[in-house]
Amino acid sequence: MSLKSSRLTTSDFAAAQETYHANGWTDGLPIIPPTPDLVSACLEWALLPPEHLVGIEPVRERSITAEKLAVNAVMAGCLPEHFPLVVTAFTAMLAPEFLLHGATASTGGCAILLIVNGPIRRELEMVTTFNVLGNTDRASAAVGRAIRLALINLLDVRPGEIDRSTLGHPGKFSYCIAEDEENSPWPSLAEERLGESAVSAVTAVAAMAPRQIMNEWTSNPEEICETISAEIRSNQLHYSIWAGNYVVVLPPQLRRHFFDAGWSKDDIQNCIFNQARVKRGSWKEVGKGSVVKDRADREYLAMESPQELMVVAAGGPAGGFAQIIPPWLGTKSRATTVAVGACVDCEVP
Amino acid sequence: MAERNGVPAVSIMTSAFVDAAELMARVQGVPLHPFAVIEHPIASADARGIDKRAQVAVDAAVEILTQ
Repeated sequence: MSLKSSRLTTSDFAAAQETYHANGWTDGLPIIPPTPDLVSACLEWALLPPEHLVGIEPVRERSITAEKLAVNAVMAGCLPEHFPLVVTAFTAMLAPEFLLHGATASTGGCAILLIVNGPIRRELEMVTTFNVLGNTDRASAAVGRAIRLALINLLDVRPGEIDRSTLGHPGKFSYCIAEDEENSPWPSLAEERLGESAVSAVTAVAAMAPRQIMNEWTSNPEEICETISAEIRSNQLHYSIWAGNYVVVLPPQLRRHFFDAGWSKDDIQNCIFNQARVKRGSWKEVGKGSVVKDRADREYLAMESPQELMVVAAGGPAGGFAQIIPPWLGTKSRATTVAVGACVDCEVP
Repeated sequence: MAERNGVPAVSIMTSAFVDAAELMARVQGVPLHPFAVIEHPIASADARGIDKRAQVAVDAAVEILTQ
């Protein structure tokens, strides 16, 4: 395979690490040196030629090729079989409605959350249960990290350069989860968004850090939704009031109450859509009274429609917790879902 | 972008974003592109503070557009 990336020679593994760190090519952690063999193996697994154009970042007018993504995937620790997820994720991130430059440059400091659905989760042994939003498995950790390294090295998204985050959050190291489809009767997130069942897909979300809630003292679905909605309202008042793609991660203990009551994902979306809204006047209660002005009674919804709320089944078996993951900045960036291996310009034989 | 399309334009940055503006100008192929700089931040400034920043921006814009 003919690779175009420039070659470096270092005396040993340790020297390679120092070279990468000295050039600002890492996220602060060690990397796997991207040798031609390892990079080629990723490309061969995904059946992609090195020059394959994954997309163009419009603000920087910079093309993203499969070879450059593969280099960063190897650096992050990806195996060849992980690489299709990296390509799919970046394809989703390059969709115009995702607003990649804004999401990666903003002072707001969001990370890019990847949500994986379909058979590929099982093929890659992605963990969907215990500690799902923390350290879990090789594929989740490496794919999430590959995205960050690619942003650093292909688009200069380094702190203080393109990345202007005031604070950022730990998800910027890696922020990739898979849905627990086996333990949920609901359609997966990808099925909801693509309208196809059993499809492997990645959803990319410009996302803030997770906010955890707990309600172990009710089995009433509306009360559980109210706890979730209260956290969303809190985010609207404390962080950003604008409507957008919120994610709610529901573990089995809370999911069980919804299943037992016969609730679908639609029911949860509709309930939270109705509950999660605030009046502008409430800003007075949180130190933002100066911007209420004469619009105290104006109501702000957390989502423009119930479908903007993304309900994801995941988490360990015990604990009445849920995680609310807010959007970076309202609808400036919209979540995008892309099927793994989809060819948008293939000719039908 | 506007200037590439023949429309005279001035970018206005707060002081906290000067290096970001210089970086973006560089990567867009216009490393010496001038821009107006005003005091940071804007959001918490009172009316007097906004007026002051506006005057600085207008003066700088006139200078950039007529130089």
